[in-house]
Amino acid sequence: MEILKTKGIAKHFDGVHAVDSLSIGFEKGKITGLIGPNGSGKSTLINLLTGVIKIDGGLVVVGNNEEIKRLLPHEIADYGITRTFQDVHLFEQMRVLDNVLVVLTKRNVFASLFETHKKFHLARAEEVLIKVGLWEKRNELAKNLSYGQRKLLEIGRVLAMQNGFGDDSDIFFFDEPFAGLFPEMRKIVISVIQDLKQKGKTVILVEHNMDIIRELCDHLIVLDSGKLLAEGLPQHVLSQKSVLEAYLGE
Amino acid sequence: MEIISQLIVNSVIAGAIYSMVTLGFNLIYGTAQFFDLGYGVLTAVGGYAVFYFSKMLGLNIYLSIVLGVLIAGLIGFLIEKIVYERLRKQKASSMVYMVTALGVMTLLQAVISILFSSQFQVFPVTINANTYQILGGVITGVQLITLIISILIMFGLVLLLRFTKFGKAVKAVSDDVEVSKIVGIDTDSIISKVFFLGSAIAGLAGILVGFDTGIEPTMGFSLLLKGVIASIIGGIGNIYGGVLGSFLLGFIENFGIWKISGEWKDAISFAVLIIFLLFRPEGILRKK
Repeated sequence: MEILKTKGIAKHFDGVHAVDSLSIGFEKGKITGLIGPNGSGKSTLINLLTGVIKIDGGLVVVGNNEEIKRLLPHEIADYGITRTFQDVHLFEQMRVLDNVLVVLTKRNVFASLFETHKKFHLARAEEVLIKVGLWEKRNELAKNLSYGQRKLLEIGRVLAMQNGFGDDSDIFFFDEPFAGLFPEMRKIVISVIQDLKQKGKTVILVEHNMDIIRELCDHLIVLDSGKLLAEGLPQHVLSQKSVLEAYLGE
Repeated sequence: MEIISQLIVNSVIAGAIYSMVTLGFNLIYGTAQFFDLGYGVLTAVGGYAVFYFSKMLGLNIYLSIVLGVLIAGLIGFLIEKIVYERLRKQKASSMVYMVTALGVMTLLQAVISILFSSQFQVFPVTINANTYQILGGVITGVQLITLIISILIMFGLVLLLRFTKFGKAVKAVSDDVEVSKIVGIDTDSIISKVFFLGSAIAGLAGILVGFDTGIEPTMGFSLLLKGVIASIIGGIGNIYGGVLGSFLLGFIENFGIWKISGEWKDAISFAVLIIFLLFRPEGILRKK
C-alpha cells in the first residue's frame, strides 16, 4: 500500500522544470531510495513533499487518499511526515536535550502555555538521544557539537517527532544522512533506519553511496531532470543502462 | 551619603521600568526578528485604558488595571495579525517593517490624542500613597510596587521560557523559524501570542508610569528609546541582557547627572548607546 503519492506534481524555477509532472508513490513500511544526478530534482521533491516550497502543479496524496494541493511546513508533522536536511538544521542556541524536547511540544499554544515536560517526554527524549549516542552530550549547546554529532542530533529529532494524534511519525525523509559521518556514526544511522522499517515506518532515503542503497533499500526511484527515469528493485534498477548513463556516468 | 542612597533608589526604579519595556521588546524582537518601533506606544495604550475606565467610566482601579493590561495585549496581538503577519508572508524587507512600525506608532498616538487630547493626564486615585525609606533613600509606594512587579515579571518570563513547552517553542522560533515550521510549530501562532504577552507587559509598564508620573500620548516613545538602548547595551534579543542593560542604564543615567543638570540625562543615555554600538555592538551578553 502506498502511504504517500504524487500525482503530476510540478515545480519550476524561472522556466526550469526542477520537478516535471512527476507521479510516484512510496510504499508503507518500506525503505525507498531516491537517487539521481545533481540537479535531478531529489531535494526539490523532498522540499515539495515537506511544504518547504510551494507546489506549482499536481497534488500529493497522503495516507487514506487525502489529496493535498498545498502543504504548509508546520502541518506536515500532523500528517506524520518528518525530515532531515542535507545541510543540518538545528536549533543552534538550544541544548541538545531541548532540541529533542521541543518537538514533543503540543501544537496548541494555549495548551502548552503552562504545561511543563512530563517524565514521559523526558524519558522519550532520553531514549532517542541514547539511540543516536548523544545522551552524554544532552546539556551541550547544539552549536558546539561536531558535524557528525549534529547530523545524529537531527536524526534524533525526527525520531522524536509525533504526528497529529500524538503517535510517532510515519514517513521519514532522510536527505544524505551518511554524508561526512565516521564509520561508527554510520552504523548508528543504519541501525536507526532498520529499526524504523521494523516498526512499519516508511523511509525515503536520498543517498549517493550505492553500497548503502543496495544494503538498505527495498525499492529504488531514479530521477533525472525532474522526471522519473527508472524504479524497481535496487539491483535491477542499478543495472539498467539508462541509469548507468544518466547517473553513474558509466 | 544620603544623595548617593537616593541616586541608587532612583536608578533601581528607572531600571525596573526600563526592564519591563525591554523584556517585552526583546521577546518580540527575538521571535518576529524586527525592531518594533511601534511597541512603545502600547505603554500609552495601557495607561490611557486605565484612565478611561477609572476616570471616565468610574470603574474600580484594580479592574481598570486588568482591563488596561488586556487591551494593550489585545491591540499588540491585532497589530501583529493584521499588519506584521502579512508583511512576513510577503517577505518584506527590514526597512518596510521599520517604516510600518513607525506608521503604527504614529497612528495609535494620533488616535489617543484625538480621543483624550494631548494634555498631560493623571489617574483619579493611586494604588499606594505611602512613602518608604530604603537604605536611606525615599521610595514612593507606586515605585515600590513597580519594582516588585518588574521583578515578578522578569522571573515569571524566565520560568515560562525555561520550563514550559510554550517557552521552548518561543526559543525555537527565535532560533530558526524555518526549522520550527518543519518540526510542527505553528510559528505565526507563537509570534502572535508573543506579541500579546509583550504588549501586555508594555501596557502594564505604561500603567505603572502613569501612577508614578502621569500619562501623555507620546510617553511611549521615550520609554521605547530607553528600552532599545537597554536592549542593545545588554545584548539585543537576550532576556537577561535586556534586564542587565536596563538597570545599568538606570544607574548610568542617574549617577551621570549627579553633579550636572538633569537635562543631560538623555544625552548621557545616547552617548552610552553610541559607545556600545562602536565598541561592543553585540551588547554585554551576546545573544544566547
